[in-house]
Amino acid sequence: MSRFATLPDYIQGVTFEIWEGRQIASLRESYGTDMVMRSTQALILGTEGVIKDTLAAQAAFPDREILGDDVIWCGSEAEGYLSSHRSVITGTHTGHGVFGAPTGKRVTTRCIADCFVQDDVITDEWLCYDVSSMVQQLGHSPRDWAAEQIAREGGPDQATRPFTPDQDRPGPYAGTGNGHELGDRLADILSRIMDYDVATVGRDYDRAVSFYHAGGVTGWGRPAVEAEWMQLRAAFPDARFTIHHKTGRNDPGEPDRAAIRWSLDGAHSGHGRFGAPTGAQVHTMGFTHAEFGPWGLRREWSLWDETAIWKQILLAGA
Amino acid sequence: MKDFSNQFKDLPDYILKITKEIWEDRGLSTLHHYYGKDIPMRFPSGLVRGNAGVIDGTLATLCEFPDRQLLGEDVIWSQDTQDTGRYLSSHRLVTMGTHTGHGAFGPPTGKRFEIRVIADCAAKADVIDDEWLIRDVGGIARQLGWDPVEYARYQIQTEGGPDKCQRPFHPDHDVDGPYMGRGNDNEWGQRLASILTQMMDKDFTVIRREYDRAARTEHWGARGGWSFDFAETDWMRLRSSFPTAAFKIHHVIGREDPGTPYRAAVRWSLTGKHSGHGFFGAPTGAEVHVMGATHAEWGEWGLRREFTILDEVAIWKQIHLHTGNVE
Repeated sequence: MSRFATLPDYIQGVTFEIWEGRQIASLRESYGTDMVMRSTQALILGTEGVIKDTLAAQAAFPDREILGDDVIWCGSEAEGYLSSHRSVITGTHTGHGVFGAPTGKRVTTRCIADCFVQDDVITDEWLCYDVSSMVQQLGHSPRDWAAEQIAREGGPDQATRPFTPDQDRPGPYAGTGNGHELGDRLADILSRIMDYDVATVGRDYDRAVSFYHAGGVTGWGRPAVEAEWMQLRAAFPDARFTIHHKTGRNDPGEPDRAAIRWSLDGAHSGHGRFGAPTGAQVHTMGFTHAEFGPWGLRREWSLWDETAIWKQILLAGA
Repeated sequence: MKDFSNQFKDLPDYILKITKEIWEDRGLSTLHHYYGKDIPMRFPSGLVRGNAGVIDGTLATLCEFPDRQLLGEDVIWSQDTQDTGRYLSSHRLVTMGTHTGHGAFGPPTGKRFEIRVIADCAAKADVIDDEWLIRDVGGIARQLGWDPVEYARYQIQTEGGPDKCQRPFHPDHDVDGPYMGRGNDNEWGQRLASILTQMMDKDFTVIRREYDRAARTEHWGARGGWSFDFAETDWMRLRSSFPTAAFKIHHVIGREDPGTPYRAAVRWSLTGKHSGHGFFGAPTGAEVHVMGATHAEWGEWGLRREFTILDEVAIWKQIHLHTGNVE
């Protein structure tokens, strides 16, 4: 019997306990011993890896607050749950760590974590922080920060590999979502954009849409969101777009909403946010949450990790 | 909708369509049809009567910001129980534009602004005939490079000095329009009204009780923040500037629509002395009227999105006119 009334309460509750409650060691109970965590930055295997990663992140930003914006979920007590947890993270960079020496700067970023939960234990995970927005707030360009990261990790031969599908290990969760029409609706919109039918934005988005995209990019209205999606696709015009997981929900008193996990796999063959084409093979792990309203898609949050993309490009060219 | 053109499917559709038609599609002359001839429009900057004034004001703003867009973020609405076919729409917009023309903000700066507006409009038979409109003028001023304190002084000077300038709205100037409703009885409206009332009664613990820890608050001055701290600090600073002012709730709407969060719209005011520190400098004793509008959305863990607009420039103008420090 869970200590928590609902799956969303469980996710919000253990997140608070682990981070702000400092119960880092409780990860030994809330995370599976052999869990597979696919962070955009690296594949992490087993609870001990997650614990070290969590400790390092807390040491760098000890006053970090994780504000749970939404939990979009599916599944059941019997089969287990898949939770897509969107959070806002704020903290002050007062400690040493992967972001270098403390800068005293205050950082606000976003994160989406897809976790598989069985009997109150997380045994499978896909995770993306908007690292690019963090490094920009700390005064770096995402490209230069990725280059420095490679150097700090011992050069191209030693540096940690960002997550790519060839590293993947099968975890216990093999589901693809809940078959809800709102999940299909968002998946269709993303598929059309990635199939170069950018006009879908004009058809399916609210004129007053607000959005957040990787790199801390925010904006209002269709033209701005179209431009952002085109920028991403233009850098990887030949890459294969895949939808991995889709959840839709229609809960009383809540906006109609959906969560999609997707990826782009292929060559960096176009000009765009990642400079001149290099031909590097790149895996982009992407997450999109959306809320629908009476006039279409009205709020969209899409995360991927621009520093992990840069790192793949730089490692391929090294 | 009774007595409305059949091109409109419901009240929000009517509001969104005519807003776009008037502004972005340049249909200023449609205001002769859509706005009542004698409509009282209560801006924090002053009371305006009649659609002719509305048309001229719209034209002046379009000349100043010709690429201005008005994106309707939400329409929270109610039906008048006494007067069939009459509605009240509380329309929250995000509006943006580039300052390329001469106007109320001085010579063009080429700067862009992005602010929120809440417009409460009463509508019947295709016509808006009563209105309360709060723009985040402080937010525009800041983004165009003004300090709102100084912009209020500039307004006084360019409107002919302290004796001739337009008087910011005060309830003493008010007139009765055709709409006498107070909203609806939905519990979410009552809940928002109660939160605001408790804060104005100086019980600021209400925020931790009622708000989601991850709440996003968007306030006047185009400022916003996350969680309890921002909301608490901002509301305390506002109340602290006018600690003895009378707080009044004027209009309350709550809604539960399928596929949409529980939400509410409340129009309120503070009327009284500028007798404390907070947002508006050292206390001056000026008599001030603050016209405010708040929208909120709830989620599983409490109030998760709060939007409050008031016009700082209109407040500063009342303070300057009281102190005489207008240069």
